[in-house]
Parts: sequence; C-alpha cells; structure tokens
Amino acid sequence: MVRALSQFVRGAAIPRRRAIVSGVALGCICFANGCTLEDATAASTQLTATASALTNYYSALDTILVETGQLNALQEVMYGIPYDARTKGLIADTKAEIEKREALAKDLANLAQSFAKLTGSTSPADASASASNLQTEVASLKLAKIKMSDDEQNGMNTAVMLVVAAIQEHKEREAARGIGQFTGALHDFFVKEEPAYESINKDYVAVSSSLAKSMLQNGQTDPSGSFKIALDPYGLTPQVSDPKLRSGIEKLAEQEVDEKANSLNDAEIRAGADMDKCLKEMADRIGLVADEKPMKFRLAPITVANVEKWSSQFQTMASSAATAKAPAATTPSSKSPANSN
Amino acid sequence: MQSALQELETTYFTLQGQIGMLTAACTTDQQRSDLIAEYVAARSNYWNCVNKAFHDDDPQVVSLTAQLDSANTQLKTLVQQMGNISKVIDGITQAVTVGASLAAKVIS
Repeated sequence: MVRALSQFVRGAAIPRRRAIVSGVALGCICFANGCTLEDATAASTQLTATASALTNYYSALDTILVETGQLNALQEVMYGIPYDARTKGLIADTKAEIEKREALAKDLANLAQSFAKLTGSTSPADASASASNLQTEVASLKLAKIKMSDDEQNGMNTAVMLVVAAIQEHKEREAARGIGQFTGALHDFFVKEEPAYESINKDYVAVSSSLAKSMLQNGQTDPSGSFKIALDPYGLTPQVSDPKLRSGIEKLAEQEVDEKANSLNDAEIRAGADMDKCLKEMADRIGLVADEKPMKFRLAPITVANVEKWSSQFQTMASSAATAKAPAATTPSSKSPANSN
Repeated sequence: MQSALQELETTYFTLQGQIGMLTAACTTDQQRSDLIAEYVAARSNYWNCVNKAFHDDDPQVVSLTAQLDSANTQLKTLVQQMGNISKVIDGITQAVTVGASLAAKVIS
C-alpha cells in the first residue's frame, strides 16, 4: 500500500496514464491490505495540492509585507511620518520568517513528489534530499521555538527526523507515517501562528485604506472612473468638473473603500481558516493511508481552491507592481503609462 | 480584554485610522512632532511583537495588557470626540508608553 502511495505521489507529477499503469499491480496489494488505489491517489494528490496552497498562502503574505513597506513610505510623503529604520528592520525580519515558512511548504511539496522514488530501483537521493531540506527549514524557524510549547516544537522536528531516517533506510511505510505526523505538527504550528498572519493583513488593509481615504478627502483622486459604468455602454468618456458632483462621488468612494477593506479582512480570515482545514485533512488522510485504512474522500478538499483564490489576487498585484516599475527602471526617460496613451 | 498583541494592534490601528484627521487637528509644530513621534513608537511596538509570543502567565504581562486595554478605551473615546488636541496627544502618549513597556516583555 505504501508503495502505492509512493507511486501515486509520483503519479501526480507525471502523466496520468503512466501513473495508472504503474498502479494496477500495486492496487492488488492495496486492496489486500484494506485500502484502495484511490485512497493512495487521493492522499498523494491532497498532499501535493495542500503544500502548494500553503506555499501560495505564504507567498501572498510575503507580497503583503512588501506592499506594507511601500505604504509606510507613502505615509512619509503624505503625513511626514518617517518610515524609521527600526520599523523597516522589524518588517524585514517578519518577511524573512514568512519566507522561511514558504520555503518549508515548497520543500514539503517537493518531498511529496520525490517520495515516490523510494520504491524505484534507483537510489532514494531525491527523496532524501527533499527530506533533509525540510529538516533544515524546520530548524531555521526560530520564532516557532518561541511560539510553540516544547511538545509541539519537538513534534515537527521528531516527525521530520523520522522521515529522513526512514527514507535513508528504505522504510517507506515509516516515512509515510512520518509525513503524516509532520503534517499534523505543521497544522498545529499554522493554527498557533494564524492570529499573526491575520494581523499582518489587517495592518496592510488599515494603512492602505487610510491612505486611500485621505487622498479622497483631500481631493487628490480622479472620481471620473466611477461614472464609467454608466457611460461606457454609450461610448462616452466621463469628465467630472462640477465640485458638488465630485464631492458626492468622493463620499461614495470612501464608503466603498471601507466596504472593500472589510471584505479584504474577511477574505484573509476565511483563507486562513480554509488553510487550517486543508492541513488538518491532509494530516488525517496521510495518516489513514500510512495505517493502511480505507479513506472516504477521493478529491482534494474544496478549501484548497478557496486558499488559492485568495492568494492569487496577490500574485496578480505583485506582477502588476513589477510591470509598473519595470519601464521606469529600464528607461528613465520614457513617458509614464498615462502619458504614453 | 484582548491578547497582548491585539492590544498593541488596537493602539496602532486606532491612530492609523485617524492619522489624517489627527495631523490636521494639530495647531503647532510641536504638537505635530509629538503626534508623529507617538505614532512611530506605536507602529514600532506593534511590529516588534507580530509573530512573537509573550509569557501569558507572567503577572507583569497580564497587568500591562490590562493597563493597555484601559488606555486604549480612553484613546478611542478621545480620538472619536477629537476635542482639545493636546489632551488627545496626552492620551496617545499614555497608551503608547504602556505599549512600549508591554512590547519590551515580548520573548525575543
């Protein structure tokens, strides 16, 4: 059965047909032991999908921290509030910690994929390297040591050491059990840190919405765009010159900023809760498969998609920011996008 | 009462949400300078504690968290009423000072 899990972890990364062919014979072993080929497939798929969602979740937080720094710099221009070296350093430290978690999630995804190689005729070098990387990432989580109790702190380390040792000794079933334990410890870790993730997003939303409202209140935005919805169907271009109309639309825009800020906070809270559920379910499923017990669910949990949906908006924002900056960096004399049209 | 981090967050976010109005209410350069210094300190207190932990059972942490909770309640009222800006800045200073003592207790 564990060989089936291994094969199907690899199956997630190679063409499906090859995975199915490889799994036919292994399915017999699986059925004989009480679990099915589908169980192993579902567990491996979820392991890969969840680790990927976790990577993207942390990547989104990383983008949020980058943009928080940029917003603090804007506050200096807007209000004369210095973006002091101490705060810059503290945000940089937090960002570095988030990047470690992102690297850990990536290593888990790599481990899930390379784990399959254990059952092949070649050496388990890739799986062993992935597990060792995971061990290094766990050791680097200095804040985790503070945040977690000794038992929780040791849980993740113990589990990853089990995975490393089991891989080195070709004990696939033990390695699968170790991955299940590691995922359970990772879930506990995530739950402990979730309030901090929520707070990082809340700060980003608070600073950005405050700046947006100040710009509106000081008449430093162009409200014409709000009328596009009414004028676009008729090919007309808004040109707001009436001060009363301008004031009215600015008030409406302030309300919209508040509503959007609330929805951004709610969306992150939901994404965090969904990520929590994904990790828990992944730990349970891997545990069932490692124990050769039947598994009820076949598809990756829908909560994975919710997390991906939330994090994707920050991938878009990051690439938009990079695109916006690129012309200025490479061609200083070129016109701004607004002027070039 | 909220957690220590949440209380530090409340101080900083309360100032953050009204910073435009607060700076506009300052009538002297000194008031403006004091306000900005307190804001920077509140932000620093907050970032010093994000993703870190407190010894929740430390009596000093418990006491400072309670004090900050009380100072935050007063701060919110002062900022909402936006009366005498000197009094508002005094209230801000009080909350930020307690916040600094609490932030110093974070495990580093």
